[in-house]
Amino acid sequence: MMREIYFDNAATTYPKPPSVVEAVKNAVLRYGGNPGRGGHKTSQTAAEAVYKVRAKAAEMFGAEPENTVFTLNCTHALNMAIKGLIRPGDKMAISPFEHNAVARPAYALSRLRVHVEVAEAGDSDGEIIEGFKKIITPEFKLCVCTAASNVTGRLMPINEIAEICGENSVPLIVDGAQACGTVPLKMSDGINILCTPGHKGLYGPTGTGLLISDGKYKLGTIIEGGTGATSGELEQTSFMPERLESGTLNTVGILGLGAGIDYVKNIGMKRIKAHEEALCGIISDGMKNAGNFIIPSRGEKSVPILSFNIEGIPAPRLAGALSEAGFALRGGLHCAYLAHKTLGTFPDGTVRFSPSAFSSERDAVSLVNYLKKICKTGL
Amino acid sequence: MTYTLITVSSVTYAMKAKTILNNSGRYCEIERQDKNTRTGCGYVIRVRDDPELICSILSKNGIATKDKKTVVR
Repeated sequence: MMREIYFDNAATTYPKPPSVVEAVKNAVLRYGGNPGRGGHKTSQTAAEAVYKVRAKAAEMFGAEPENTVFTLNCTHALNMAIKGLIRPGDKMAISPFEHNAVARPAYALSRLRVHVEVAEAGDSDGEIIEGFKKIITPEFKLCVCTAASNVTGRLMPINEIAEICGENSVPLIVDGAQACGTVPLKMSDGINILCTPGHKGLYGPTGTGLLISDGKYKLGTIIEGGTGATSGELEQTSFMPERLESGTLNTVGILGLGAGIDYVKNIGMKRIKAHEEALCGIISDGMKNAGNFIIPSRGEKSVPILSFNIEGIPAPRLAGALSEAGFALRGGLHCAYLAHKTLGTFPDGTVRFSPSAFSSERDAVSLVNYLKKICKTGL
Repeated sequence: MTYTLITVSSVTYAMKAKTILNNSGRYCEIERQDKNTRTGCGYVIRVRDDPELICSILSKNGIATKDKKTVVR
């Protein structure tokens, strides 16, 4: 069987570090108790291991452990955060580059009388900042913005957007799906709630995510149930993180995530980002003379994600051809209707190159050679 | 040996308390409450040092404490 070269790490990183594989195996074998659900040693050992990961994740983003909530993925975290803060009749703002994890909850809420405004787009950070300035007023109850576009990698001016939100006392939720692990986001950047998957830039297993709060806003719940605390009351537990963690935790995934966080810390975000940027550079530099190779605007700053098209070839077809040739890249809309509408790449979308710490220069060069061939001869 | 059992809100706060106290060289273990309160089951931390001092350290770190009970074991 032909080896597939994996460049779809913006969807989920693969392979995972050996330490993550080991931690998952170890969790299944040694941490079988239900954390926070009993006084016996097996439960307490699991609770202690989970807490260590909680504290580790909190430290990474400058938060308190009790404000660090384990979720199933980033979409789960974003839904809990958005729906936990907004009520019918409220106003909320989102960026024009949101993933469906934000755009769809916002759309669903708009049908429940929530007024949703999308900030104006622009190529420069200044235009984006102006776009938010134009719409946000103290009447708004929420602003949601991605830290980096999952289509182009474009980094949003989060600090400035946070400042606008702060001036208007509007809570800011940041979708860190494509930034966490390469960009050192901190709650002190003015972020009130940060949502991130555990299985992308943090190299944890699928089925893991984080909702991190600065503790300023109390979230309503969209899921209620057993939390291992205040069991004598029918009212949902009022304190974090248990309030948002109903049901048994994914101990196996969480301990894997802990090893993933250690992996990122040990190598360093700066080094990982530099490596991945160099690989994006191999693609963009290698293809710059091909007149029919188009890269949509990545803004002033970006994370190492590169979207492209070859003129005359629909993105899904191009991604299919690449897959047949042994390259795993994602083509289409990347669950980001709004972003592709904004970029003018709707409905066919783009093909997305997203490397990881495990991607190699040699494989990136192979991809360039194959893309050059397609640019010259077509499919 | 005389200990004090201090009730905290949840296992997360119990873990946080244990980490903070152990890191400053103080004894702290976590136990399940032996009798439920009106709000249900919960966790206590078992400490040896002056409970007022412990509660003040925990409070400074954002950990609310509830009941305190002295036990001899």
